Amino acid sequence: MSTVAERSADRKRAKKEQELLDWADDRLGSSTWVRSALDKIFPDHWSFMVGEIAMYCFILLIVTGIYLALFYKASDAIVIYHGPYKPLDGQSMTEAFASTLNLSFSVRAGLVMRQAHHWAANIFMAAVAFHMCRVFFTGAFRRPREINWVIGVTLLLVAMLEGFSGYSLPDDLLSGSGLRVVFSIVQSIPLIGPWLAFNVWGGAFPGTEFFARLFVIHEFLFPLLLAGLLGGHLAILWHQKHTDFAGPGKTEHNIVGSRLWPQYAIKSTALLMFIAAVIFGLGGLIQINPIWVYGPFEAARASAGTQPDWYVGWLDGGLRLWPHWEFRSFGHEIPNPFFPGIVLPGIVFNVIYAWPWIDKKLFGDYEEHNLLDRPRDKPLRTAIGVAALLFFFDLTLASATDLIGNALQMSFELLIEILQYGSFIGPIVGGVIAYRTCVLLKNTNAHPIQRPVGGIMIRDARGGYHTLGASHDGHDGNDGHEGNGHDGSGHDGNGHDQGTALEPAAGGHPAED
Amino acid sequence: MTTKKLLASRPKNSSGGRLRHALVGPAALVGAAMVMFGVLFWTTSAPAQMKPVTMSPVSITAGQTLFDQHCAACHGVGGVGGKGPELLNVGAAAVDFFVATGRMPLSSPNLEPTSHAPFFNKAQIADIVAYVNALDIEHGTPGPGIPDITPACNNESANCPTLSEGNALFMMNCAQCHDASGSGGLLSHGYVVPSLRQATRTQVGEAIRVGPRPMPNWGPGQFTDQQVSAIADYVYYLGHTPDPGGLGIAHFGPVPEGFVGVIFGLGVLLLCSRLIGNRG
Amino acid sequence: MTQTESPKIFTGTHGPDDGAGESTPWPHDVPPDQDDTWYPLRDDPWRAKRMEYFIAFLWGITAVCGVGLAIVYCTGGQAELEGMFLLVGFATMGTGLLLWARNLLPGHDITASRGTDHRTSSPEERAAVVESLSRGTDAMMSRRGFLVKKVLVPVGGIFGLAAIFPLASLGARPGRALYHTKWYAGSRLVTEDNVALHVDDLMVDGIMTVFPEGYIDDPTSPVVVLNIGGDPIKARRGQAGFEVISGANGIVAFSKICTHAGCAVSLFNVLSMQLICPCHQSTFNILQDAAPVFGPAPRPLPQLPLGVRPDGYLIAMSDFIEPIGPGFWNRSGD
Repeated sequence: MSTVAERSADRKRAKKEQELLDWADDRLGSSTWVRSALDKIFPDHWSFMVGEIAMYCFILLIVTGIYLALFYKASDAIVIYHGPYKPLDGQSMTEAFASTLNLSFSVRAGLVMRQAHHWAANIFMAAVAFHMCRVFFTGAFRRPREINWVIGVTLLLVAMLEGFSGYSLPDDLLSGSGLRVVFSIVQSIPLIGPWLAFNVWGGAFPGTEFFARLFVIHEFLFPLLLAGLLGGHLAILWHQKHTDFAGPGKTEHNIVGSRLWPQYAIKSTALLMFIAAVIFGLGGLIQINPIWVYGPFEAARASAGTQPDWYVGWLDGGLRLWPHWEFRSFGHEIPNPFFPGIVLPGIVFNVIYAWPWIDKKLFGDYEEHNLLDRPRDKPLRTAIGVAALLFFFDLTLASATDLIGNALQMSFELLIEILQYGSFIGPIVGGVIAYRTCVLLKNTNAHPIQRPVGGIMIRDARGGYHTLGASHDGHDGNDGHEGNGHDGSGHDGNGHDQGTALEPAAGGHPAED
Repeated sequence: MTTKKLLASRPKNSSGGRLRHALVGPAALVGAAMVMFGVLFWTTSAPAQMKPVTMSPVSITAGQTLFDQHCAACHGVGGVGGKGPELLNVGAAAVDFFVATGRMPLSSPNLEPTSHAPFFNKAQIADIVAYVNALDIEHGTPGPGIPDITPACNNESANCPTLSEGNALFMMNCAQCHDASGSGGLLSHGYVVPSLRQATRTQVGEAIRVGPRPMPNWGPGQFTDQQVSAIADYVYYLGHTPDPGGLGIAHFGPVPEGFVGVIFGLGVLLLCSRLIGNRG
Repeated sequence: MTQTESPKIFTGTHGPDDGAGESTPWPHDVPPDQDDTWYPLRDDPWRAKRMEYFIAFLWGITAVCGVGLAIVYCTGGQAELEGMFLLVGFATMGTGLLLWARNLLPGHDITASRGTDHRTSSPEERAAVVESLSRGTDAMMSRRGFLVKKVLVPVGGIFGLAAIFPLASLGARPGRALYHTKWYAGSRLVTEDNVALHVDDLMVDGIMTVFPEGYIDDPTSPVVVLNIGGDPIKARRGQAGFEVISGANGIVAFSKICTHAGCAVSLFNVLSMQLICPCHQSTFNILQDAAPVFGPAPRPLPQLPLGVRPDGYLIAMSDFIEPIGPGFWNRSGD
């Protein structure tokens, strides 16, 4: 029970709040919008927060990135190093590399900021990938959210390029080798390759002004793109409202969750704090990208264990797995790196971009959806997604063949051959297993972790065996009631028929109330 | 005879026990000769920049005993070769390297020698080296001696004048197989390149000069002894300096870092999301 | 239509006439009497107070971490300590916020409508917007769109293309840059330290990275020179006689730039006489004139024609007979 003093304090505060909001409304007419914003509902499922994780990682990247940019020198000029790191004393290197050494060893908190920035980039890409998978497997890209899917895939692409350009800025041996490979990939494009590569690099590799350009791309061009696209992504999400899983009391036309104010805002800030804790904790406690060990890039040098950061690993693995084919005739050639370096990602991204429309065709579903599928509800989509993930996983493993061989005492010849076959056998087998598992889970309506999957067999008095499943007698081994808003008779909690196998649930039309 | 042919595995027939029994006599003669030579060379000073290998008769005899027990089965009595290569001009550095890194003795000539804890203690290793070195000198082909790596710096301080030279030579000549951090790597045909992070300076110097296959070698025409010292110093520095950025994970670059970031970093954050949100 | 009104969102917590207006029926899927001020510890003030104290305690730890950070910074900084203070500080702040929201703040599990009726526009609005648009496009496309289709689009294309030309200033044209290195007839082979290589310098199974004298920094010119002893090389067409035999030494030299994607090919497996590239595991058989035997590299490493000066120094007899490194469109095949 509140006391008199507490109530009076509340009234005083309410008066101040009124004054503030009136001030704003006088100038902007904002009251209605502010109210709808404060009251806005956000569904609470934990997997919906992963996009937020990505967003907050992006914000931390900007904050730490601005700090780094104040110390980094984007210059190809050669200097002789005389700093605290003695193994490089007296060696010549670009100012870009020297300034990164300086930031790591001579600037207080510089190393933590640099490492936090790099960890944040890795976690950012992981969150984006996880978020994209969540959206894919739950069908959140369906109408009316196709635009947001396209924006999201563009965000993924730009973020990958942003990450790659970022860790290439210090001009160390590891990232410099990566730049060399990218130069060769661009050079391999038919007709325009060498011209394009020389254009971007300002000459033959490694170029004499390249880091100034890379700096502009990484600090300015891509962050602007990312910020703009992210703004659009969030604005559309805000307007359309977030999707949600089906459940008791949930329909296509309502939304259940936390209010933005104060519940969701505070919880979201808590998430930001946790993300900052993880990123800065890793930044100070676990070493990442020790450029001083790699040394400055020189075209004559190489190191074992030359891999890109994990999110580019699938491309590097593709380059290792692709057979040594090259096509030559009439004085021209299509060089080898063109296929895994340009054609493969081209096909991959085109399919990913087009997926909402492919999905519509596959399932014949052109309706609007605000309720999500569980992955088991669309076994074909889930199988295709699992197959794609296995493909990328196979290629990512391929980028580490020398390290895996070193650890397992296997030859890379054998490993590469296994992974070459695995790149299509794995997805096929995995896809089939995923498909079967989805169908099985759908029929039994069991939660795969909380309850065992499968039916219950009973033997009747005459000796016959019967399996109890979701479509019989209202029982399916879950005691006649279950979560997820389904009663035992094959209908969801709102009386909508769940359908069977591949049929979409009926009743998904926007109702005319 | 080139070093290459000596160190190549060339299986030959050996009938084991009876052969060994029959060679005891000649072995004793050779041993006596060794002792004489040892007496003669007792005061020989080693060549410049080489660690002197003892010529003491006691040591050589002890080495011969150990050699006959553990090495002659493959390398032949008197190092003439057998299932394993002959050792008559390999040099002290090679013997010291292979035995001190535990690569030898090998339980079967078909195995690839890999680095282990050494089978012998330091005194025994010195004895075996002395014996084979004496064999080589008697044969007239001494082979590369044990390089004398005088550390120009101790492990913690970074005021070592040759550290930078060692770094430059290491990055150009060694990093492509052993990794920039010295963690090792992989050659073709499944040959694992070992980690150098626990190697001693002497072992590094020996390996550079000897070229234990499949590693190439670098003779005096390519690296001076000072340069070999510098590389050894830098390798020691790599393995014995704390990482400035925190825990070094596996010192293998972006792959383990990616593991940590994706599985641990994102994993923790997904757990946080589970705490914050609902399970549905 | 008057100025846009915010779609009527039924949240069920502001009462029956919650923005609904006169004739809008209450949706069946929004419970009308939700309690918007409820939170789990509202009716348990004692536990609520304890929870607040616990949160305050956590945030106190955050403050301590802040002070710790300041101290660490002022005493020279140390990465692990900074990381630890930041980790604990942020984590306790976040935990406090989470406990606060979960237990002490309202706004849980509220149902609202999605405002379907008003999220997309009415048929009248849709017709009206087409009217606004076609008012313009009808006039712009007069005479079957002569100005737009037949003039503006081609002109835009031409002018737009011309405006892209400044982008060409970004880079030099490749010209013949990809066809030549800095090796020339008579150039000595020197190491990175500018020491010229003598024909006897390498022992058998030795390997060295060399550059043309005077061009140590040129990125297209690095070469690996090897002593293969007495092993014979099976030379490719046009590269016979490029090696130097001197006594028991057989000196050969290959371009170090991988023909796959340009990394430095530098791993040397003495037992199998192979050069391996660390980037994608392209493997080249030295005794078959560096032909690729495994991995994605499509072409052998070009061999440098070697000679020996009378004073014993190794020299190149000419540049490579083909372009080094990765392929490109105009590279004439062999």
